[in-house]
Amino acid sequence: MATIDPITREIIKNALASIADEMAVGLYRTAYSTIVRDVLDFSTSLCNAKGEQIAQGTTIPLHMGSVPYAMETLFAKFGDSIEEGDVFILNDPFDGGMHIPDIFIVKPIFSKGQHIAFAVSTAHHLDLGGRVPGSSACDNKEIFHDGLRIPWLKLYRRGEPDESLFTLLRANIRVPHMTMGDLRAQLSACHTGERGIHQIVERYGGDTFEACSSELLDYTERIVRSEIASWKDGSSTFVDYMDSDGCGGPRVKIQCTVTVEGDELTADFSGSSPQVPGAINSTLSFTASAVAMCVRAVMHSDMPNTAGMFRPIHVVVPAGTVLNGEMPAASSMRGVTGFRTVDTILGALAGIVPDRVLAACEGGNSLVIIGGRRANTRDAYVYYELVSGTWGARPDRDGNDGLCNPANVAANISIEEAECNYPVRIHRYGLVCDSGGAGKFRGGMAVEREWELLEGEAALTIRSDRRDHPPYGLAGGLPGGSSISILKHHDSEEVLPVMVSTEIKKGEILYHRQPGGGGYGDPRDRDDKAVATDVQNERISSEAAEQVYGVSLNEGETDSG
Amino acid sequence: MSCRLFEQSDQDEEPLITDSDLSIKIAADVGGTFTDVVVSLPDGRVLTRKVPSTPPGFEVGVLAAIDEVLAEDDSNRADIATVCHGTTVATNAVLERLGAKTALITTKGFRDVLELRRIRAPQLYDLFFQKPPPIVDRYLRFELGERVSADGEVLAPVIVEELDAIVEKLLEHNVESIAVCFIHSYVAPDHEREVGEHLHRKLPHIPVSLSHEVIMQRREYERTATTAVNAYVRPVMRRYLDQLQSGLQERGIHAPLMIMQSAGGLTPAADAALRPVFALESGPAAGVLAAGNVAKATGCRNIISFDMGGTTAKAAMIENGAIPYSPEYEVGSSLSAGNRLTGGDGELILSPSIDIAEVGAGGGSIACIDAGGGLRVGPRSAGAVPGPACYQRGGTEPTVTDANVVLGYIKPGQLAGGDVVIDEAAARQSIEEIIARPLGMTSLEAALGIHQIANAEMLRALREVSTHRGRDPREFVLVAFGGSGPIHAAQLAEELGTNRVIVPPVPGVFSAVGLLASGLERHDVRSCSLADETLNPIEISSRVDEMRSAMKKQFLLESADDDRLQFEAFADLRFVGEISDIRVRIEDDAINDETMEELRRSYEEEHERMYGHRSESGAPIEITAVRLIGREEREDDLMLKEPETADTTGGSRLATFPRSEGPTEVQVASRAELATETEGPLLVDEYDATIVIPPGWSARLDDASNIIMEKKHGDH
Repeated sequence: MATIDPITREIIKNALASIADEMAVGLYRTAYSTIVRDVLDFSTSLCNAKGEQIAQGTTIPLHMGSVPYAMETLFAKFGDSIEEGDVFILNDPFDGGMHIPDIFIVKPIFSKGQHIAFAVSTAHHLDLGGRVPGSSACDNKEIFHDGLRIPWLKLYRRGEPDESLFTLLRANIRVPHMTMGDLRAQLSACHTGERGIHQIVERYGGDTFEACSSELLDYTERIVRSEIASWKDGSSTFVDYMDSDGCGGPRVKIQCTVTVEGDELTADFSGSSPQVPGAINSTLSFTASAVAMCVRAVMHSDMPNTAGMFRPIHVVVPAGTVLNGEMPAASSMRGVTGFRTVDTILGALAGIVPDRVLAACEGGNSLVIIGGRRANTRDAYVYYELVSGTWGARPDRDGNDGLCNPANVAANISIEEAECNYPVRIHRYGLVCDSGGAGKFRGGMAVEREWELLEGEAALTIRSDRRDHPPYGLAGGLPGGSSISILKHHDSEEVLPVMVSTEIKKGEILYHRQPGGGGYGDPRDRDDKAVATDVQNERISSEAAEQVYGVSLNEGETDSG
Repeated sequence: MSCRLFEQSDQDEEPLITDSDLSIKIAADVGGTFTDVVVSLPDGRVLTRKVPSTPPGFEVGVLAAIDEVLAEDDSNRADIATVCHGTTVATNAVLERLGAKTALITTKGFRDVLELRRIRAPQLYDLFFQKPPPIVDRYLRFELGERVSADGEVLAPVIVEELDAIVEKLLEHNVESIAVCFIHSYVAPDHEREVGEHLHRKLPHIPVSLSHEVIMQRREYERTATTAVNAYVRPVMRRYLDQLQSGLQERGIHAPLMIMQSAGGLTPAADAALRPVFALESGPAAGVLAAGNVAKATGCRNIISFDMGGTTAKAAMIENGAIPYSPEYEVGSSLSAGNRLTGGDGELILSPSIDIAEVGAGGGSIACIDAGGGLRVGPRSAGAVPGPACYQRGGTEPTVTDANVVLGYIKPGQLAGGDVVIDEAAARQSIEEIIARPLGMTSLEAALGIHQIANAEMLRALREVSTHRGRDPREFVLVAFGGSGPIHAAQLAEELGTNRVIVPPVPGVFSAVGLLASGLERHDVRSCSLADETLNPIEISSRVDEMRSAMKKQFLLESADDDRLQFEAFADLRFVGEISDIRVRIEDDAINDETMEELRRSYEEEHERMYGHRSESGAPIEITAVRLIGREEREDDLMLKEPETADTTGGSRLATFPRSEGPTEVQVASRAELATETEGPLLVDEYDATIVIPPGWSARLDDASNIIMEKKHGDH
């Protein structure tokens, strides 16, 4: 194999990152569903011929670690029959997938008849059948409620689409034109990846590409090892909880022990709750993803997002737990578990690298899914909202007020666009006073949003959390405010459970408030001026300033300007 | 810093500038670091000046440069016909948070829309990312009872008592500027108008920016941000333009002051003071326009403009002579990548702008070695202070400019027009110590590596405007300018597979040249959702007609010549359900059923080109916006001709190129000497830039003094 100099490697590394981003841009621009095109819940990556990731687009961080597991099962099944023109499809969490809504599309890339790489795209689809519109409901009790399982299959064979597979798909989903549009966007992204790889091979030669795609993994590994080696050896354990098992059951425990030994790190999740009846069971791959994301996020160095990342990292997740569910565990809403896993790992890392970890963020986005049929056309619609939140405070600064959780870089849906396309009216979208965890550095303020249904009735699904177990503070900082969901009927108000599937009728209003971020450090140590500015901007009330921060403000003192 | 680049050498030749009235024109382009002034004189001479910018009082630098340059010439100042101006004042006010104390009034329930933005963070894995503070503080964002529905129906009227309470607060806080943005005002602007009139009555001295007057487009965050930024920079821009104008008048210059807009084209200073948000990106726009003029003059239909300065490199694609527009961009973000993946750290502005891709690689970009032993270049920049190591101004880290000095591309010694001296030994030492030794390379190898990695980064911008949009860069000619552009251009062209590069005269002050060549221009838009039965010629032409008559009225107020007004209409189309619009030209003035078919056809073709696939056959399409551009056509094109030849440096120096065995002795020529075609390797040292013609390339001069570099076939 050719050896590779650092300059060529840097150039090819940049080119690969650029291709992965180009795939991502094409994907969101041509996607149909709001969840892909507006919320950007998808990811793109490139793998070498062995299926090892060599580049990731600037997309959902929590998807990164899932690719190795998916590729492993792909090889186990089709390793001997990967042909030019093939395209593979997968969503089955029991065959290497993440959860039913996430479809993997994988295109092997060939050069002069030789298989050299893969283009991979993963997107969260609006609906894949199952019990409820949007496929996802916390009280789905087995994978079959979640929707159609697609184990690894060839969607295209030698360039020819498998029409019977397409027909089967269309027949099992509620909004086929959306899903097909999004699938087309995924396919097109893979073509873009293929074209980009061909250009690199044309320019630098197949040998150099091969050598580089293997060296990039070593390069990443070296960076991760040198980073971990700079941390002190030792163990740190942290426990966090989800309020519910998804079916109204008791709290669910997540425990993580992080051990640093030399230049390697182990994350052991023994002690976490057994798998639960609701649809919040995670997979081994998703749990490993969370570990990779957290280690990556506390590292000082920048580096390419390749599979080399995983070599110095060991993940222990006992089978049959909520973090590694076994058949027939439902998992469509496992996102919340992933977020809590991240919170738990970061909490454990706070015992090892305290100056690099933030207090708990809002606990991940809340999902609000409204699905029904339009009054005039009777066409099915699924309105899928991710309400994204706010950040925990950092050791040297406040949490960001109103910013998507760092594990999930999703965007919000424009109110005007939503009202033009769906039978909803949005009455409020904003930040909540006194919701950020108090501290020397304040946690980010909670986000609230309010929807009114304008016609007929619709299925309503909510996935939220952190009402009983609010986002933790660190170093003496207080927890962030709790979440709440209220359904306003015509003559009464109903507080909904954190995770629920119910109904909403015309004229009813749903109010949802996310949790606030945790605080960092003792609130009494907060700078008086910062407290005054917060009061002026109604980020904290003057009562809270006096009672929690110990700062009493006289009239007129608050106007700095 | 005096320079007289163009002097008529032969009276028989055509003048350097051809313009009907042969009057004097002044162009001033103010950037963050330098202020460039170009003056075209009636006798054909062009004078240029490059002086340091003087923030925050940018007008001081502009007036000083104009004084200096006019001192060289005894022309009558009364003959000055126009002063064209591209300015970074508004952008600077946003970046440095130097805008006015601004208040925002929103629909009840939505005062935080501005702060929540699109909620997405611009980078992954950074737990210490700091969201920039909103440009309007939360206590100055007020909610007002009022609401209209998505189709314009009034759900709740404006509550005047609430408005009066807000007015009290505005007075109490000494607010200097007010923005108003209500939900769905792009379809039903009456409430904004009502509030605007009320505020004007109660607070006649405070400027009010109403969102529907700024931009009639859907998406509340973007429209709110655009309006708020407009309000925020409005008093700053007004003050600046007033001071500049009175400064000009004190100098006996009474010519109209015209401001370049982000979308290209000039607008009177009075208009720019009302809508400064449309002039945020005026400098880069002028560069692309100037490149477009070069393209037109040289008969190239397809070009990529490449502008490389100290901290960034910018690229734009001009296809079939058409300037590319983008409906939005982000001000204050680290980079404008032209997509939503990396956005979120600036304010998203819905102002039409020239579509420019930008990467953080420039002459000042710093090279370093990371923990994995990788050589990295940028995005950190040494800027003007401390600057590259070779400037000897306190910078010790090696930069791209240092690499270019070590490679022999940039001449050591006095930097043209400045007090900076390029120290070759300092550049070499920095690269040797920080890069070469740790990597076990020679300093020459390391310098070449830095140069090539910077090229790879810049290729991202060039590819983003070409291959990413389904264009084959081999069909394009690169037009290179900016202080460092002509150093890197030929090697970038090779990577792109492009075999021709044009380096125009005065490449270092080229954006100012673009100002001279521009005319009046306005852009307007109407958001809509035309699908099914509303997707018809009448719906489109009513919007076009409405915009055209308003625009025409405005142009005539600005004393435009009616006969020279030209209008181009566009539609933003998408397949129903997709998010990204593609802008398609509406070709015919008489919009009929054939036009509709034509629109669909052009849209589907472009969609397939950009994304590699069409939708399912017969998929419904939707028009989401109708746009109109109006401009006053110039009577003729600006032509720069033969530069003077006195400044020839001659001689030779050692330079190193990729794939060559070590340094070779390379001839240094002047631009004029390229009148006969010369083969590379060759270097051209000019007042404001160096041009590198690598081995395997040849260079010659065309009639307009452009250097045309061509790659020879069968080489390399």
